[in-house]
Amino acid sequence: MPAPVDGVASERAIVIAAQRGSDDAFSALVRIHQRRAYSVVRAIVLSHEDAEDAVQEGFLHAHRALDRFRPDQPFGAWLYRIMANAALDLVRRRKVRDADELPDNIPIPFRDPAESGELRERLQEALTHLTDRQRSVIVLHDVEGFTHGEIGRTLGIPEGTARSDLHHARATLRKLLLNIRSSS
Amino acid sequence: MNDDRWTPGEAELTNELRAMYAAPTDESYWESLEARILAHVGRGGDVQGWWSAMTDLARPALAAAAILIFVAGAAVMHSRQLEASEAYTSVISASPPSIETAARTASAGDGDAVIDYIMSH
Repeated sequence: MPAPVDGVASERAIVIAAQRGSDDAFSALVRIHQRRAYSVVRAIVLSHEDAEDAVQEGFLHAHRALDRFRPDQPFGAWLYRIMANAALDLVRRRKVRDADELPDNIPIPFRDPAESGELRERLQEALTHLTDRQRSVIVLHDVEGFTHGEIGRTLGIPEGTARSDLHHARATLRKLLLNIRSSS
Repeated sequence: MNDDRWTPGEAELTNELRAMYAAPTDESYWESLEARILAHVGRGGDVQGWWSAMTDLARPALAAAAILIFVAGAAVMHSRQLEASEAYTSVISASPPSIETAARTASAGDGDAVIDYIMSH
């Protein structure tokens, strides 16, 4: 079992071992990155369950593409880009599937039955008015603390587009949530 | 109001977003997810039913069917053109009887030929 990862050099060694076919090394990479990977895909998909599916698919794609990864590059950035693509692909497939279903079955963001706060309900509803990319950008920025550049690299969009998406997402949420904020 | 950042009064929105999108904190959850990821990778993806396999095959099957229809249509067209060409060729290439044959037909019959032979000897 690989030792705990303390830095880039040790992670690089693990990546190289995984590229040489070590299952233990790949397991270590999963252990190191699964939380961050979950956060990336959770910002893109609409539910916790879809996030789990996307993470599994993302790691599967990463495993298949591992021999094409250059160890001198940051592994995390490469992996999270794959994760984002897996999540976007899942969102696209969900849309195709849902287009064939009754309108009542259109998914809404994951709701915890215990949640009853009006702000949260309004926020969840307001988020459905954003584009998928705007929602992803604002969650990655505000929840995960990604910079505009990191968001751009992860989602495969220019940094300026990430900044613009964030601007429009905030403006939309402000407009939709104005009443509840002014009354609180 | 700043469009790039929430104002202090809007901080509650960020807090709500973080609460909504928070990753599970239970360590056993991550151990379980890791096991599921590795199992998923180990079996090379989702185990699909025959209907899923059929769905996956639908597009290439349609393409193959289209190619077959095209090839069959082209073969029928080619066959018809060949038949028409052969019929035309047979009509224009039907040669008239040779001059020798025609002359022989036009001259005396076989009986006259026998008389000519006897007389000459």
